[in-house]
Amino acid sequence: MNDKLRINKLYALSSENRKLSFSLPLKNRIRIGKRDYVVQLKSDEKYGTYILWKNRKYPVEIVRSRQNKYEILFNDISYTFTVETPFSMQRMKVLNTGKGKTEKESLKAPMPGKIIDVLVREGSNVLRGEPLMILEAMKMQNEIQSPVNGQVISIHAKPNSNVMKDDMLIEIKVE
Amino acid sequence: MKITKILIANRGEIAIRIMKTAHRMKISTVAIKTAAEPNAMYLSYADEIFDNTEEISEIPIFLDIERLISIALKTRANAVHPGYGFLAENAYFAQKCLDNKIVFIGPSPDAIYKMGNKTIARKLALQNGIPMAMGSTDNISNEEEAIKIAEKIGYPVIIKAASGGGGRGMRIVRKSDEMEKMFIIASKEAEKAFNDPSVFIEKYIENPKHIEFQILGDTKGNVIHLGERECSIQRKHQKLLEESPSGALDNHLRKRMGKLAVQIAKAVNYYSAGTVEFLLDSDKNFYFMEMNTRIQVEHTVTEVVTGIDLIEQQIRIANGEELKIRQENVRLKGWAIECRINAEDVQAGFAPDPGKIEKLSMPSDSFVRVDTGIQAGSSIVSTYDSMIAKLIVSGRDRKEAIKNCKMALDKVWIKGTKTTLPFFRLLVRNQKFQDGTFTTAFIEELDKYYFNSEYEEMLAAWLATKMFVEENLRENSINADPENKSEMSPWLLNKRINQF
Repeated sequence: MNDKLRINKLYALSSENRKLSFSLPLKNRIRIGKRDYVVQLKSDEKYGTYILWKNRKYPVEIVRSRQNKYEILFNDISYTFTVETPFSMQRMKVLNTGKGKTEKESLKAPMPGKIIDVLVREGSNVLRGEPLMILEAMKMQNEIQSPVNGQVISIHAKPNSNVMKDDMLIEIKVE
Repeated sequence: MKITKILIANRGEIAIRIMKTAHRMKISTVAIKTAAEPNAMYLSYADEIFDNTEEISEIPIFLDIERLISIALKTRANAVHPGYGFLAENAYFAQKCLDNKIVFIGPSPDAIYKMGNKTIARKLALQNGIPMAMGSTDNISNEEEAIKIAEKIGYPVIIKAASGGGGRGMRIVRKSDEMEKMFIIASKEAEKAFNDPSVFIEKYIENPKHIEFQILGDTKGNVIHLGERECSIQRKHQKLLEESPSGALDNHLRKRMGKLAVQIAKAVNYYSAGTVEFLLDSDKNFYFMEMNTRIQVEHTVTEVVTGIDLIEQQIRIANGEELKIRQENVRLKGWAIECRINAEDVQAGFAPDPGKIEKLSMPSDSFVRVDTGIQAGSSIVSTYDSMIAKLIVSGRDRKEAIKNCKMALDKVWIKGTKTTLPFFRLLVRNQKFQDGTFTTAFIEELDKYYFNSEYEEMLAAWLATKMFVEENLRENSINADPENKSEMSPWLLNKRINQF
C-alpha cells in the first residue's frame, strides 16, 4: 500500500451518533433527494455570520472548536459534531468494541451559580429524579436532580461555594 | 393631586412601556441610570435621568425603598410607577410613598399586604365563597405538621411560600417520605426570596390549565374584569407564552369566573390593575390560586384584544378618576399570543445565558407588537432577568394568530446569546398546542430535540466539516495510512490519545 493516501470523504458525527458524510473537496452544495441546493456561508454588518439556504438566512456561530470537535449554533440551536476521516472512523470502530457501558454518572453544573445546599452525602442511595443539590443562578433556585438510580461516590461542591458551568458537582455509581 | 411627573422604579421593557403611555398623556418621566446598565435603552425614553451609577450599595436600586423615595423627592416626581417585579408588590414601599405625598401607581398598601400574604388571601377567598383547592388555612411550622395535613387532604400536595409568587418557594410532594426534604427546600427558598420562611400546603391539582383574569378597579368602588389570559405554557411555574382569550373558556364560564374575580378584588377594596389567578382542571372546575397586585408581564395580550391601555388606566385611577369602561362594554376581539424571548439555553434546561446582544432585529408586520428594552449592543446582565423581548402576535382567531406567530418567529434575528426562540418555533408547530389541549405539564412532554428539520442539522454539519477542512486539510493530502503509525500526522495521533 502506498504511504500517502488521499482523503475523499469526511464524516460529521452528531452527539446522537448520526453520521453525515461529505465528499471532498467540499462543495457548496447539499443534495436533498435528487436535487442539489446551494449553501453559502456569508457575513455582513446587519446580520453577522449566516448561512444562506433556499433563499432563507439562518444565523450561525461557531461556539467553540477543539481538535476535530465543533460546537455549532445554527438557528439558535446547538449541535456538536466530531469530524472524522474514513481512517479515523475505522480506528474508532476498533477502539470502541469491547468498551462496556459507563457505570458512573458524573453530574456537571448546567450553568454558573452558587451552591445553596447539598442534600445528599457520600454513600447516600439516590433515586432517579431525586434532588441532590440546589444551585442558585439569576435569583432562581434550581434543583440538581439525579439522572439515575445509584449511590453517591463523591461530592465536589460545598454549600455557599460558587461554581462555573460544567464544573463537576457529584459522581454517582449507577445501579 | 394630579400626577405631573412619574419616577419609574424599574428598568427594561416595562420602564419603556410605562414611559410611552406617560408621554402620550403629557406626563413627564424620570428614569434611573444604574452602574449595571449605564447604556440601557430605557434611559433614552425618559425626560429626565437620575444618575445612580456612583452609588455603591448591596441591594439593587430598584429594591432600595429609602433611596427611591429620596430620588422621587429630589427630582420632584409626584408619582412612582413600580412596574413588575422588584417593589411592585411591596406594601411597605407603597405606604412609604403615600407618607411622603407621592402617588403610588398601584393598589392600596392594605390590598397589597392582604393579597401578598397567601394565608390571608386564602381566608378572604374562603369567606367570599371562592372555590379553592383544599389545604391548610394557616402557615405550617414543621414537617410533622405538613405530613399530617397532607395525609388528611391526600397526596400529591404543593408547598407554597406564604409571601410568595412567581413560582419561587413552591414544591410538589407526592409521598410522605419526600416531605422533609421538600419542606426544607421550600421554606429556605421562601426565606431567601421573600424574607419570610412561612409556607402553607394545598392539594396539588394535576395538569391544570392556568387561567387568570385581568381586573381594573377605581377608588370609587367600581371593579370590572377585562377577560382572561391563558398562561399554561410554563416551566417551573415561570410563564413562557400567554394568550388571550383562552380556548378552554366559553362565555358562560368566562362570566362565572370573571364575576368571582371581581368579587375577590372587591373584598380588599381593590383599585388599579390586578390579576386574579385560577387553576382550571380537566372537568372545568376552577380554583382560586392568588391575586397579583401589579401590572403583569403578559398584560399586553389583554391590551391587544380589548384595545384598552392598561398603564393609562392605572395612571387615571391613581389620579382619582372614575373608570369610564363598563363591564358590558368590554369585548374581546380577535386573539393575541405573547412569546417571552429570553436569553436562555433551552437545550440546557432553560439555563440563563447572559451576554451581549450583537444583532437584533424584530418583525414589523402589522399583526406584531414588540415590547423590548434591548437593542443591538445591549447586554443581558445576570443582575437582572433574562428577558430580551416580548413578541406579541395577533390574528382574527387562534388559528390565524398561531399562523402569524410562526411567521413572526422565523423573522426574529438575534445573535450573541442563546434564546428561547427554538422552543417557540417547536411549540407553535406542535399539534397539542394547535388543538389547545395542553396543560401546565405540557413542556415536560414536549420533544427534547429542538431542531425543526433534518436539513438544519445537515447544514450545521456542513459548516462543522467546512471548518475542519479549513483548519486541517489546507494541503491537498494528509498522511493517514492506518498501517504505518510512525508516519501518522501529529494531529491524528493526538486525537487517538484523547480517546483513551
